[in-house]
Amino acid sequence: MSQLNNILRLSFRDYSHEWRMSGCFVFALASVLAPMMILFGLKFGIVSSMISGLVENPVNREIRPIGSGHYSEQWVEQFRSRPEVEFIIPKTRALAATIQLKSKTANHILSTEMMATALGDPLLKELSSVPKGYFEVILSKEASIKLKAKKGQSIDASLARQFQGKRERVHLTLTVIEIAEAAVSSRNIAFVNLDLLLATEQFKDGRAVPELGWLGDTEKFEERQYPSFRLYAKSIYDVNHLVTDLEKQGIRVKANTAEIYTVQSIDQNLSVIFWIIACVGAVGFAFSLGASLWANVDRKKKELSILRLLGFKSSRVVLFPLVQSCLTGLLGWLCAVLIYLVFEQLINRFLAPRLNLDQTLCFLLSEHFFWALGLTMVTAILAAILGGFRAAKIEPSDGLREI
Amino acid sequence: MSIIYSLKNVVKERMIENVGFRLLVPNLEISKGENIALIGHSGCGKSTLLDMLALILHPDQAKQFSLGTNDGETNNIEQLWQKKKHDQLSEIRRLNIGYVMQSGGLLPYLTVRENIELPRRLLKLADDDSINSISKVLGIQRQLDKLPGLLSAGERQRVAFARALSHRPSILLADEPTAALDPITARKIMAVVMELIKGLKITLITSSHDWAHVYKMDLRTLHQEASVLENGRVYQSLFRD
Repeated sequence: MSQLNNILRLSFRDYSHEWRMSGCFVFALASVLAPMMILFGLKFGIVSSMISGLVENPVNREIRPIGSGHYSEQWVEQFRSRPEVEFIIPKTRALAATIQLKSKTANHILSTEMMATALGDPLLKELSSVPKGYFEVILSKEASIKLKAKKGQSIDASLARQFQGKRERVHLTLTVIEIAEAAVSSRNIAFVNLDLLLATEQFKDGRAVPELGWLGDTEKFEERQYPSFRLYAKSIYDVNHLVTDLEKQGIRVKANTAEIYTVQSIDQNLSVIFWIIACVGAVGFAFSLGASLWANVDRKKKELSILRLLGFKSSRVVLFPLVQSCLTGLLGWLCAVLIYLVFEQLINRFLAPRLNLDQTLCFLLSEHFFWALGLTMVTAILAAILGGFRAAKIEPSDGLREI
Repeated sequence: MSIIYSLKNVVKERMIENVGFRLLVPNLEISKGENIALIGHSGCGKSTLLDMLALILHPDQAKQFSLGTNDGETNNIEQLWQKKKHDQLSEIRRLNIGYVMQSGGLLPYLTVRENIELPRRLLKLADDDSINSISKVLGIQRQLDKLPGLLSAGERQRVAFARALSHRPSILLADEPTAALDPITARKIMAVVMELIKGLKITLITSSHDWAHVYKMDLRTLHQEASVLENGRVYQSLFRD
């Protein structure tokens, strides 16, 4: 439709011809939009930091069973396959899970707690390997300091039991394959493969462990039952779901739900505050843009009447304020984005370090920018309705002459 | 001689501050190629009549109001207004009519050339040399790429005429086109325009305040008869030959 093309072209030419006036509208929009983007960026950045802080510490995703239970291999295997579960490994009896460690470089014997570990253990994520078989161990930082042990070093491990009236002790040589970060635990822990832990329990129960040459009862087992397990959810949002499911199965558990709930609650409250401010801002801006478009149409009555006189249809002339409103929306958004980016950098580089905070204090995803553009354009189009009505009502013969 | 406009008992009424104004055209027939001047003082309804002839103002009553166009059609204008066929009226206007206002008829954000081109663009007419030749005749060739704000009043009116004629309409309406200009410029411009329209066989209907000049140019004139009706509450303006 040539009339449509012409109207688009004429609206654009008029808009750029009046660049000072158009510029004022663009800045007015940017001055409302930019602070809202900065506000939202702060909310999003702060909440994201809080969430990632929670997420990074696996303790916040851990679900601990209360008391003892009876969990079969099968049950553990089944639970492992759930999509919300990041990692699950069985635990043996706590009393049976200690071992005495001694290294050549330190003179005392350290009584160490053993924990089973496997590939994918969130506690040991940063390390490149996990213990395999019976003779590998990862020491906690605290244990390695007490034993003055280094990576690659061999240490002596021993277990004691009361068997057939006699006190027995067996020894093993373990290789320290890695040392865990201090943040993992402040206790003396030896992370071992589940096989070694089971062997230890068997020994202490008076059973034989033929693979290690330890003597004892050779009675066949029934299906093994574990008293507990170590479980981590994939994200803090999955924690609640898993807790509910376990409780449905009659298993009482404990998790860091309080902290998670706090962060979610802060997120929600900040969102509500933000949206209230945003709505007030948007409505205010829509009215002010609408009023100025209406006044513009009034001011340009003669020019719009000339267009009607030349033969432009009324329905096309109505598009004039609409096109100009959309131009204001687009340019205003661009301007606001630029202002936002400047402030984002200022906040993250200069303010955040001063407050000892994360460098992503103010942060927006690219989808947020596109949402802002969408909402701005919708507001601009709605505001243009006022101007459009005014334009439709123009009687060319009245508009042509300045009365 | 084919008839272009045919008006019978056409009435337009307006209320301005409790006084009624009534424009009445009892009988008017305009043939193709005629040049007509509306004579009367300011505020007597000349502009109102021109607006009705330009199809931008609807009559309140009309026994007959028809417009014959180049394609041989006779359009029933009062019926189109009654049936609110505004788009059709727009189309007739676009194709057949050129209008010159007293002043300020140009779009300030388009160059002179773009202003003159606009009616042709609306009709999707091809770019030919007509704009250049019409600009030459009207003496504005050197202003073609300037914005109207940089031209003098006289130059702007010449551009207004160029735009009104650029799409070769069959009718040229002019509402006191030279009223804002000095008499010498005014007469120069009108002389050029009269030559142009004679060559293009365009029907001219103009209103003018310079009566002496109009009589000299030997145009058919329509005079206004004023009367006061209804005990001073209605002022009537009647146009006849």
